[in-house]
Amino acid sequence: MEKETLVFGPVKITNKYLIQGFNLINDRFGIKELLDDEVFEKIAPGHLGLWSCFGGISFFIFMMQVVTGLLLMIYYQPNIDVAHASITKIMNEVPFGWLMRGMHAWGANLMIVTILIHMSKIYVSGIYKAPRELNWIVGVHLFLLTTGLAFSGYLLPWTQLAYWATVVGTETPAAVPYIGEYIRYAMRGGEEIGQVTLTRFFAIHVCILPLVTAGAIGAHLVQIRRQGIAGPC
Amino acid sequence: MSVGENTESPSSNEDTRRWFLNAMISFFGAVTALGVAYPVGMYLWPRERKVKGGGKRSMKIPLNDIHVGGAKFIRFLNKPTVVLRPSETQVSALSAICTHLGCVVKFKEASGELQCPCHGGRFDSSGKVLGGPPPAPLVSFPVRIDGEYIVVEEA
Repeated sequence: MEKETLVFGPVKITNKYLIQGFNLINDRFGIKELLDDEVFEKIAPGHLGLWSCFGGISFFIFMMQVVTGLLLMIYYQPNIDVAHASITKIMNEVPFGWLMRGMHAWGANLMIVTILIHMSKIYVSGIYKAPRELNWIVGVHLFLLTTGLAFSGYLLPWTQLAYWATVVGTETPAAVPYIGEYIRYAMRGGEEIGQVTLTRFFAIHVCILPLVTAGAIGAHLVQIRRQGIAGPC
Repeated sequence: MSVGENTESPSSNEDTRRWFLNAMISFFGAVTALGVAYPVGMYLWPRERKVKGGGKRSMKIPLNDIHVGGAKFIRFLNKPTVVLRPSETQVSALSAICTHLGCVVKFKEASGELQCPCHGGRFDSSGKVLGGPPPAPLVSFPVRIDGEYIVVEEA
């Protein structure tokens, strides 16, 4: 009797338990065809090189930020009296806490770099042109969301550097004519930077912006799939 | 199979190579998975050690280890701690972590003071701030002389 095999592109699975497990899902949702079309049998254009990878690298770093960020939330306390102490504890006492925080802090910086490289590639190669203008616009918003994540996360350790960076960062929009004062008031949650500021920056950093960013990344990827990857330029 | 064709079964050859590659992928995949799982598991696992019998942790140091007017640096509750003996019957136990920015203080025998090498914070033998930037006294632990020993206890 011929052995049952499950084929995913170059991968052949013969283990009957793996096949049974996959069929459990596939019989109900019919995902095999979708996986073949979109992943395993999908052929990437041959002209793609190193510079085409930076969007994917940025996405990978975003996922790392989500994972390490969730882990940091296990020990971080968003309270101005203990915030810095909780960071010190993560760095010095929690096993591998230095690794998680290091990855999160370095990832934040690297993500800005990889996104700028990605944007440069798209700009220089003229990939933003029709029919991909909308995706360029979504991409620019993704960059702005990333800087928003970086700015809101910067306050959380509640160090001198963090505090004064936020003083400057909330003072800058105050220069906008007519509404500047109100923007500063809303960002700080009052006249001064204090507990209210830390709480709202925390909520923005760990929940609001990540959700919006994830949604925008979804829109970015859906458009790439619908329009295909741009040809050689 | 036609005459002259290679009689060695190509499928068996390929199977061997396939087996080897699968084994390699599985092995390095498992190593990578462990390399991620170990730090994350260690990170998440609570580290608060339970004290047996619910009592407080304490540490005994021979009284002779510290001469009158001297001090001894020990590791208590896994943190740098200093035990001072300003007079024959007087002892104090202080956290050696400066309350300014967390450097470990040094003992100056000539003045009987604790001094922080980082920004010059000064403390007396009871932990009180004598000068410099520290905003608060050094954390002190309950301590007593028990016969031939000095006993330091968790606060």
